[in-house]
Amino acid sequence: MPHSLRSWLTQPVGIAPLATLRVVLGAMLVFSTVRFVALGWVDDHYLCPDFHFKYYGFEWVEPLPGWAMYGVHGLLILSSLFVMLGLYYRLAAVMQFLLFTYIELIDLTYYLNHYYFVSLVCLLLIPAPANRAYSLDVRRNPALRLDKVPRWTIFIFQLQLGIVYFYAGLWKINYDWLINALPLRIWVPANDQLPLIGWLFKWHFTPWLFAWIGMLYDVTIVFWLAWSRTRVWAYLTVIIFHTLTGLMFQIGVFPLVMIGATLIFFSEQWHERLWTIGRWTVRRWTMDPPMSNVHRSNVHRPLSIVQPSIVLFFAFQLLFPWRYLLYPGNVFWTEEGYRFCFRVMLMEKAGTAAFFVKDARTGREGEVVNSDFLNAHQEKQMAMQPDMILQFAHFLKQHYEKQGVADPTVRAEVYVTLNGRPSQLLIDPQVDLTKIRDGWSHKTWITEYSYQ
Amino acid sequence: MKQRISYLLICLSLIASSCGSKKNNPTDSFDRQAMLTHYADEVIRPAYSALAFSLSSLETSVNTFNNTPEEGWLTQVQTVWKESYREWMRAVAYNFGPAGEEGLRKSLVEEIGTFPASETKVDSFIQNGAWNLNDFNRDARGFLAVEYLIFGKNQSPAEIASLFAADANRRTYLLALVQDIRQRVTAVNDGWNNQNYRNEFVENDGTDSGSSTSALYNEFVRSYEAIKNFKLGLPMGKRPGQLGPEPQLVEAYYSGQTLPMMKAHLQTIEDIWRGRTRSGFDGPGFRDYLETVQGGPELITSTEAQLTALKNALNAVPETSAVSEQISGNNAPLEALYVELSKMTRFFKSDMSSLLGIAITYSSGDGD
Repeated sequence: MPHSLRSWLTQPVGIAPLATLRVVLGAMLVFSTVRFVALGWVDDHYLCPDFHFKYYGFEWVEPLPGWAMYGVHGLLILSSLFVMLGLYYRLAAVMQFLLFTYIELIDLTYYLNHYYFVSLVCLLLIPAPANRAYSLDVRRNPALRLDKVPRWTIFIFQLQLGIVYFYAGLWKINYDWLINALPLRIWVPANDQLPLIGWLFKWHFTPWLFAWIGMLYDVTIVFWLAWSRTRVWAYLTVIIFHTLTGLMFQIGVFPLVMIGATLIFFSEQWHERLWTIGRWTVRRWTMDPPMSNVHRSNVHRPLSIVQPSIVLFFAFQLLFPWRYLLYPGNVFWTEEGYRFCFRVMLMEKAGTAAFFVKDARTGREGEVVNSDFLNAHQEKQMAMQPDMILQFAHFLKQHYEKQGVADPTVRAEVYVTLNGRPSQLLIDPQVDLTKIRDGWSHKTWITEYSYQ
Repeated sequence: MKQRISYLLICLSLIASSCGSKKNNPTDSFDRQAMLTHYADEVIRPAYSALAFSLSSLETSVNTFNNTPEEGWLTQVQTVWKESYREWMRAVAYNFGPAGEEGLRKSLVEEIGTFPASETKVDSFIQNGAWNLNDFNRDARGFLAVEYLIFGKNQSPAEIASLFAADANRRTYLLALVQDIRQRVTAVNDGWNNQNYRNEFVENDGTDSGSSTSALYNEFVRSYEAIKNFKLGLPMGKRPGQLGPEPQLVEAYYSGQTLPMMKAHLQTIEDIWRGRTRSGFDGPGFRDYLETVQGGPELITSTEAQLTALKNALNAVPETSAVSEQISGNNAPLEALYVELSKMTRFFKSDMSSLLGIAITYSSGDGD
């Protein structure tokens, strides 16, 4: 690493932004987990379905029995609460990361880029000294208190947000999004009943306007946030932008997460003022008695494992999204290399999948009723994603083998519509899916997408 | 800098919009509230009130028959049952709102439309003279349990009538079942009319999950798939693991009314799609909605072509013998019908929801 970069990264800066981030993210996770439980999603997502779609390489992750699933969510709420308060922080942060990530890994159906983002941020919170001020840990042990931290501990969160926005914008640079204003031409008119701005959604050119603004916004917003002269205005657009998308789409707590997390771009003075405003509550715990920075050197010590890991962590995030270039075909169609890239709200895709199970002995072929095994969400996601179709086919083979079907073969007729175009076959309807194993190589049984 | 970007933006959006306008794009937006109003007032409420009215006739005829359990009055009950069931086929797809699940009570379709009826349960309830119409034995109540009682199994009307004449429990059970159906339908009808669900339905005019459009659409698709999977597929032995056809699993098995009722059900599906009323007037419905959205006209063309194919296949099924007999005999016309039903699924299921931007689940989607 060049010397100047190293000294920039290790330069001491105020700790306040980090403390704010800790509180914001902890609070978000508490809120989102409580919401998840209250909506009955633990049952719907993890307990009711007979079958769960696995993440490649994480096939061993299984849901726990009912009481334990609720226990996991309860523990997650508790850990996030502790993270928020900065109490037993390191342990709480580790627990928060592990529990949240465990829940996400149970079923691929519920994969969301913003859950992936939250998981990554939770991981980054573990090494971050976010509890070294304005926290109950400092109240318990004032010797922990720090006023300054090396810049990298804050920069990693800014970089993480930058990657999310920038890649989200980058993937919008494609023909359908910019020139055809698809899928926005489908989504925008469906929202014309919104209060105050609904009228705007009826205009013919609104989808194009949103498409271009959305792309330019995502690609450039981090730079406007990073630059002190534009920051306040940029943050104002962050609020407007995410509120708008929050109203338009069913995207849960994501807008709140982004509105909260982007506060990390504000200066230490700004954050200190924020904490001063709330000082009548937090001060007595944390600010008195004033401490010197005797332990600063602690965090300055080059951490042999942490720093190279962080470099790898970001290198992965920067490079992994480009793997789609190694596959032939349209990435929106094949979804080979689609996930973990922050391709958010990029396409309108839906499918209908009919599975046929054949008994090798009798030659009888039967059609599966998917909803016998899957909930509506699982069926919807499965019906347009080749790797999930494959997993379901393998599950069906096992299931019907147990039911007495001899050496079952499974094929699927899957029709998928992409961005409002007439649906076409996604995979070869004759191929026996039970003979295929999932892997990194190109799925030759996916049919080629043709623009119609 | 900012100024330059805004200039760029305006130019780009102008270019983009002028490119797009050459195609046949939706020009004006669709009034979902008008569509919902039409469905509520001209389609759904008339369906339930006709059903409720028809059930009062059924109850009257059952009372008459119970007082005079003779063959002639039985035939009368059978005729009215067929009329009521046909009305039920007109209301069967609106399994939400007052007809949806609530607490222990299942949806109306499950409570009064479960098939096949369990002969064993019905027989033993009558024999013991004890039954509970609010438990989970939904296959011992509803329209199809009544059907089993009044059409019997390979029995002549005279034989069935004499069974009733000889057994007070049988008469009481029949009346109780009909009253139960009537009560449940009346409750739903009241929900739409008196308890203001109608207004709630019309006002909830978004496209998110929980919106009326989404509720109506989801039940429309579910109802369509039920025809293919349960009314036809299952009795034909189309499920994996079935060893052969199971003709006794058809709907309306005892009356042999499977085909006319399936036709009525499919007609309801088509009517919903077209926004067509009882009198044959096409008001604002899903078809009109599709006309205004991206890719909609193409989907309408495919859907209508498939509707024609579907009807041809349906009309090719002989009316001279019961579906349950055709299943085990010459089933080629039914096989053809199954194929056409399958081909339609994607147009109704994924293509339509995708184009209309209707949410089909409550869970959060991907954020931006």
